[in-house]
Amino acid sequence: MPEIHVENLVKEFGDQRALDDVSFEVREGELFTLLGPSGCGKSTTLMSIAGFQHPESGRIAVGDETFVDAARRIAVPAEQRNLGIVFQSYAVWPHMTVFENLAFPLKVRKLKRAAIRTRVREVLELVEMLQYEQRYPHQLSGGQQQRVALARALVYSPTILLLDEPFSNLDAKLRERARAWVKELQRTLGLTTIFVTHDQDEALSMSDRVAVMSAGEIQQIGTPEEIYRHPANRFVAEFVGRVNLIEGLVSANEGGGVLVDVTGSPLHLSVRDGAGASGSITIAVRPEAVTVLRLDDNSSNGTNTWEADVETVAFLGDHYEYEVNAGSVALTVQSSRRVEGDRIKVHIPPDACALVE
Amino acid sequence: MTATSYEPQAFPRPRRTHDPAWALHWGIWLLVVALIVGPFVPLLYASLRDRPLYEAGGVLTVQPYRQLFGDSAFWDAWGNTLMFASLTTLMAVLGGALIAILVTRTDLVGRKTLGRLTLLPILLPSLGMVLGWLVIWGPGGYLTAMFSDRLHLPTLAIDTIPGMAVVEATRLLPIAFLTCQAALSRADSSLEDAARSAGARPVRVLSSITIPMLRPALLNAATLIFTLSIAALGIPLLLGTSNNIVFVSSYLYNTWTNASTPDPGSVSAGAVMMLLVATALLVLRNRLLGAEARFVSVGGKSGRQALLRLRKWRWPLAGLLSFYLVFTTLVPVLGLALMSFVVVLTPLVPPWELLTSAHWNVLLDDETFRRSIENSAIIAVVGAVGTTAFVALATLVAHRSGFRFRRTLPFLMLYPRATPGIIIGIGFFWAYLLTGAFGDYMRGSIWGIMLAFCVRNLPLAYIVMYPTLARIGEELDRAGRAAGAGWWRTSRSIVLPLLKPAIFASFILMFVEIINDYDPAVFLVKPGTEVMGATMLAQFIQGAVGPVSALAMVQVAITVVVLSIGAKLFKIGVTGGDHGA
Repeated sequence: MPEIHVENLVKEFGDQRALDDVSFEVREGELFTLLGPSGCGKSTTLMSIAGFQHPESGRIAVGDETFVDAARRIAVPAEQRNLGIVFQSYAVWPHMTVFENLAFPLKVRKLKRAAIRTRVREVLELVEMLQYEQRYPHQLSGGQQQRVALARALVYSPTILLLDEPFSNLDAKLRERARAWVKELQRTLGLTTIFVTHDQDEALSMSDRVAVMSAGEIQQIGTPEEIYRHPANRFVAEFVGRVNLIEGLVSANEGGGVLVDVTGSPLHLSVRDGAGASGSITIAVRPEAVTVLRLDDNSSNGTNTWEADVETVAFLGDHYEYEVNAGSVALTVQSSRRVEGDRIKVHIPPDACALVE
Repeated sequence: MTATSYEPQAFPRPRRTHDPAWALHWGIWLLVVALIVGPFVPLLYASLRDRPLYEAGGVLTVQPYRQLFGDSAFWDAWGNTLMFASLTTLMAVLGGALIAILVTRTDLVGRKTLGRLTLLPILLPSLGMVLGWLVIWGPGGYLTAMFSDRLHLPTLAIDTIPGMAVVEATRLLPIAFLTCQAALSRADSSLEDAARSAGARPVRVLSSITIPMLRPALLNAATLIFTLSIAALGIPLLLGTSNNIVFVSSYLYNTWTNASTPDPGSVSAGAVMMLLVATALLVLRNRLLGAEARFVSVGGKSGRQALLRLRKWRWPLAGLLSFYLVFTTLVPVLGLALMSFVVVLTPLVPPWELLTSAHWNVLLDDETFRRSIENSAIIAVVGAVGTTAFVALATLVAHRSGFRFRRTLPFLMLYPRATPGIIIGIGFFWAYLLTGAFGDYMRGSIWGIMLAFCVRNLPLAYIVMYPTLARIGEELDRAGRAAGAGWWRTSRSIVLPLLKPAIFASFILMFVEIINDYDPAVFLVKPGTEVMGATMLAQFIQGAVGPVSALAMVQVAITVVVLSIGAKLFKIGVTGGDHGA
């Protein structure tokens, strides 16, 4: 399975820049996710790879085959790219049976009838839809249509697989099952896959690597853990998961980290990240990384343990959510522990702090 | 996950090239441009020469315009036309909106059926209907004579401008009706619910919310109706002649047919002027349509709307509407039917004493009449098939291709809608004259007339097809492309099959429109190439009212039969909602 190279894509709609110098590489057999809010350019990127959008400049190659090279005026038509794509609406052709839907790409490739029959049944079996082969799409549920769409994208052994928000039309329960199923299928087949979504849970749980996009630019590329634990900037920190942002001024460099004076407050924060940083910075702290302690609990003291007033506590089933104020610093804290009292202590571990600006 | 035998296989790649998309796109686009712009270029040219195009020599001159503008009769004709068009528009729009509100927003008795019947006049043969009005309500008409001579009651004077406007308004009212109906059923009912929650009573909701929201639809319909009524030819020729009321279209027709020198340039000049007015109105309408989009409320769920309760008015209003429909549709048709079976139609003698089959025999015996029916039938079938197929492809190129000039196609395909039929006729006349052997062949055969009819009516095919195409998700064809099929293969295997209902609807509509069309043909017919509409006009002017009525009945019968077959077979509601768009 080949790797995908996307280099310096630029796409403009009128005076709006939909893609601004987008570059990334997808490794062989990897599930690579483009994550971002709507309008960030993720779908435009995917459609450029598929051949339905035509970037003004940049280059797209899969394996050693160049699909797009604006400088050399190369743009391989969509139908000659041999890639599988599953659309948000599934786009299962309503006037054809399940069998006919799968047979179409093979007919286009001029396979013999018997060969088509064998292959279609083989792939329908793979997606566990063999018993529905004579049904029409309107006789299928959303989840089943999605399987048909996936099977249709796989039946001709595409070089790569593109998934455009394939789960957004499923209800919550079904969505989780479908995610796991697609992920496993992708891994079994070892198919290089690009997946587009605006749902961070989906991105984190399924991907080998994630590219977070905003306003036509890639903000960060990394494994789900890297993205979550070490967001490259404020946007990524805020878009992926929930986050507390603490502003401050670097006051000292200390052994692989920095000491920060929190802006507008007498508090200090020791941060393991950001060695060599100086000046004013922003620090991201995940709510579940903060621990809550009773005021009289002295098991943790020092720079990163602050006293705080409790504003609200909400019970959310598997955890409590605290809104607290440590002086002028407002924090959201998630914890499975219930700590009584209007005034408590919060501890921010130095290695849970990520420098985002 | 089951254990699987799925193996990546190296299938042959879809073959490069051999997809005729590129050639098809260019071919279709060029044909659209040639057919729609083509006829107007020689027209413009003809209007700027000192002698007809087929005469050698000749210089460019504005003489035809000077001559035209110097004729006070021409300006009188414009005055009449504008007065007529304004009155027509006013009546048709008000009536159409009123009926639309009644049948979509109130609990009127039989509202579904009445709504469907309201559409009929626009589909019935227009020339035949004018004739029907004439034999019933004309100066010597059946009911006129009965009411005014016997009962001394005032009657409709349909040979005056307001009277003619009434006749035209009843034909064009369905356009306003459809536009308003579409707007009403698209509107989000929660807007009305919100007003009711705020304490407004149903009638207040209607007047403060519903009707104001109709404003863009009304403006849009008004522009179209105005444009169409400017082009009316049958009405001034059939109804205006006795009082010497001349419209621009009949002025051009008379000048052409009575001219001492053949094919005068001033007619082309007049046609160019009419074309400019129609184009200006079309551009204005496009602007209005843009404005209308702002009024489209999002996420309207139809069918959930609470209906205004008419209470004791439920029946009387339904009765009134039925009376209107009988009066404007059934009575003229009955008049035609009666006329075709009697020697003279007069209230003085009971019709059964004057029965005759002579008029119908003429249809069978007279060469011209018989040939007209045959020619019209052939033209309608071939033309409807051809136009539908062509427009289906052109619509795909316009909305589902990467073709460079695709965005010009919607405007081009809607353009003939704004163009008076008589001008299309003159345009094609000149175009055939200038295109050598091809033109000679077209001029001498029915295909020349067919082409003019097809171009004239193709906007309707586009109007029927486009909304259906827009509802077919673009991801469906993208999936086809991704699967390896080229543009043409995708269109053929995926988009066109999904477009089938619209294709059938378009065929039915094209058939009906082409078989009933007449004004583009008046300058193109020759002995041997007669079509029904043109024959009716020519024969009526010669006084053969009986046989013409019989011919009109043939048109009405074919129209009704084909429409009912269409409605039955393909479940085509004429309530497509966009006929008037």
